[in-house]
Amino acid sequence: MVKHITIFTTTTCASCGMVKKWLDTKGHRYEVINLDQNPERQAEALALSGALTVPVTVVTKEDDAKHVVVGFNLAKLAPALA
Amino acid sequence: MAQDSQTPIHEVVMIGAGPAALAAAIYTTREDVETVLFERGVIGGLAAVTDWVDNYPGFAKGISGLDYAEQLRQQAERFGAKIELAEVTKITDEGQYKRLTTTDGDVLAKSVLIATGSDYKKIGAPGEQTYYGRGVHYCATCDGAFYRGKRLVVVGGGNSAVQESIFLTRFAEHIDMLVRSDHLKASEVLQHDLKKHQDKITVHFNTTTDEIVGAEVDGVNRVVKVAGTDTTTSQKVEFQTDGVFVFVGLKPNTEFLKDSAIELDEYGFVKSNEQLQTTMPGVFVAGDVRSGATMQIATATGEGATAALRIREYLEEHGRKHTGGKDYRE
Repeated sequence: MVKHITIFTTTTCASCGMVKKWLDTKGHRYEVINLDQNPERQAEALALSGALTVPVTVVTKEDDAKHVVVGFNLAKLAPALA
Repeated sequence: MAQDSQTPIHEVVMIGAGPAALAAAIYTTREDVETVLFERGVIGGLAAVTDWVDNYPGFAKGISGLDYAEQLRQQAERFGAKIELAEVTKITDEGQYKRLTTTDGDVLAKSVLIATGSDYKKIGAPGEQTYYGRGVHYCATCDGAFYRGKRLVVVGGGNSAVQESIFLTRFAEHIDMLVRSDHLKASEVLQHDLKKHQDKITVHFNTTTDEIVGAEVDGVNRVVKVAGTDTTTSQKVEFQTDGVFVFVGLKPNTEFLKDSAIELDEYGFVKSNEQLQTTMPGVFVAGDVRSGATMQIATATGEGATAALRIREYLEEHGRKHTGGKDYRE
């Protein structure tokens, strides 16, 4: 079961919008951290993903295991939410 | 192979949801032709990840790529277009129907529009793959914000390279543009805009990008410089940088067609006749993925509209009754 979903985004990122849209269609709620508005949290996104890119989606399961998906990648997002 | 009763059947399936497919969908759905689009990436395609669209007719002050894509999506969905977020991996001609294998299962279509567009090419230099997403990028609007106050290298000299370099000046302290040839291929308007940013952007002509070099800094392995060659002197040159953005042209998204009966040209673009029909009857093509495309949003939408009319004709020739469309006016 999914406990929490966080998406690191930027204002102009089209792929970030796609992740949100896809999660909406699947009925998931999520927290958005906009790195344009919160640049101090860039290091957190980098530490989680190892990448200087957005979107970074962090799916936290009931057992607190974290699944990190970089980009709008359906092949990885769907299993992360299963 | 006959269709089974479980497989969904659609009048038109459009592969892709960029400007060409969305424009086509506006036309087909307004004519009451049931239409489903499959998109594996971003709705709006490359247009959606472009900072600013300045030359699309009808927008006097220009429009952001993201806003333009959203307007297109809303317009197509208003008429009933359905967008599925899944990837088409194969297309097979079964006569009356085309079978499309997707990541969400098979569907059958009476007609198909291929509008998968194109993607940015890679340069193939050592280090490019190693640092992909960690210092090497292909989307300025996605990843530019990570480079506030940093130095960047942009590789390329065409419209995208110039436009995205200008966008990146919002964040970067300085940008070195590495241009392989002795001139920019970008439009005159963009070159004029570039001159307004010459305090932040330095253009290096006749300069190849040979290697993207990383090193461990503060415990993190990251991009630190680009090694290249000044081709006029054959001298090696280096550019200290925190990241590299690559805009060196486009490649067609046609990997899924490689083993199909749809003929591609020598560069991998889809061949078509004057009706925009491919070598597989009932399968049409529009936009950047079409052989001979001019890679403009305006031409992609125009081709999308043309393809939609040809698809309607094809469907009517194959038994569809013209319904006269619906009245969508509010």
